[in-house]
Amino acid sequence: MTTSLFSIIPGSSDPIYRQLVDQVRRLVAGGQLAPGAALPSVRDVAQQLTVNPMTVSKAYGLLELEGVLDRRRGVGMVVADRAAGAGAGAGAAAAAADRAALLRPTLERAAREARELELDPATVLALFTLILKESP
Amino acid sequence: MTPSPIQMCGVAKQFGSKAILDNLDWEVRPGQVVGLLGRNGAGKSTLMECLLGLRETDGGSVLLFGEPLHALTDATRARIGYVPQKSDLFEWMTALQMLDYFKAMYPRWNDAKVASLLERWGFDGLMRNKPIRRLSGGEQQRLSIIRALAHDPDLLVLDEPASALDPAGRRSFLSELVDGVIEQGTTVVFSTHILTDLERVAPDVAFLKDGRIALQGELDTLLDGARRVIGPASVLGAALPGELRRSQAGDGSVCVIVQGGSALADTPGVRVEPLGLEDLFIEVTR
Repeated sequence: MTTSLFSIIPGSSDPIYRQLVDQVRRLVAGGQLAPGAALPSVRDVAQQLTVNPMTVSKAYGLLELEGVLDRRRGVGMVVADRAAGAGAGAGAAAAAADRAALLRPTLERAAREARELELDPATVLALFTLILKESP
Repeated sequence: MTPSPIQMCGVAKQFGSKAILDNLDWEVRPGQVVGLLGRNGAGKSTLMECLLGLRETDGGSVLLFGEPLHALTDATRARIGYVPQKSDLFEWMTALQMLDYFKAMYPRWNDAKVASLLERWGFDGLMRNKPIRRLSGGEQQRLSIIRALAHDPDLLVLDEPASALDPAGRRSFLSELVDGVIEQGTTVVFSTHILTDLERVAPDVAFLKDGRIALQGELDTLLDGARRVIGPASVLGAALPGELRRSQAGDGSVCVIVQGGSALADTPGVRVEPLGLEDLFIEVTR
């Protein structure tokens, strides 16, 4: 498991631990981190990102409480089995709703800025549709 | 119980008629990593010098590891490392001579760490044997950090340790702080104006303002709860819970900075925004 999985932006209004929590949630929900996959160690992430190890362990601890991660003896943190993102059948719709919920904070920020710029909703939605269609 | 590395009580310091430290109380507990913040001239350096006994105070008491400053034992003194903002001592010595000189004064000296840091931070044979005054500001600062880390201190006090370092040098210094210092459980107090550095390494922050620690807490908690609430005076007339400061704009709207979150997010006409550390710094120290 490579530690460059994560990236952080210090100085934003999101504390670093929350940025890490959100990233793990997104990676798990999107399937990039499969159930059972081992997370890099606290020390490795702290070194790689040059952040206090306490910040990383706080993020991992919260994800464990949420049931996204499991602490496994001798291995460290792994993605919990029931944290699987896109499931089959009836689970899929719920999983998609979960994933959409993860986008909400980012969109809330965008909405706030749109209001500050006094843009009407149609203009904003048209722009977002355009961005979605652009190749990454 | 282990005594706190730093315990200051009612400390006062005046320069002329100006009070720099005004009845200041402050405690730093074992293993804490605290970022000390404040505007230029707020007295951060003075506070550090007073707590280390490098400057006489006009009143109050300072205990380091439970020992009063005036009766500090050599053993306790050897547990403290300090990086001044600007060191102009020992300029005639070479880097190696200066390190040897300090090595003789400490019971504990980590030769392997010194060798590894000199190597990693670009001190080649030539630089090690140059008089310190001929080193650049950044090189002198790196050397000063190496000197302060060499005896594996239990309390490390750093006054703007990264001010003369370029971004690569800063990152390398922060790595050493994370891996070589914080991991060992060392208590660290450091001041900086580079708030992103602080956010990376300091779980706790203390704001020095008007001669006192105006606000101290866990940085995550402060950021999680800090909000700028903007709305009409008719709605925001009374003091809000956790209010830090308020200001009135020309159009009659009121801007209030609160900590601990705000319940007004759904009130019509009121805007509630989160704050980053820089905004928080500006608002708290204004």
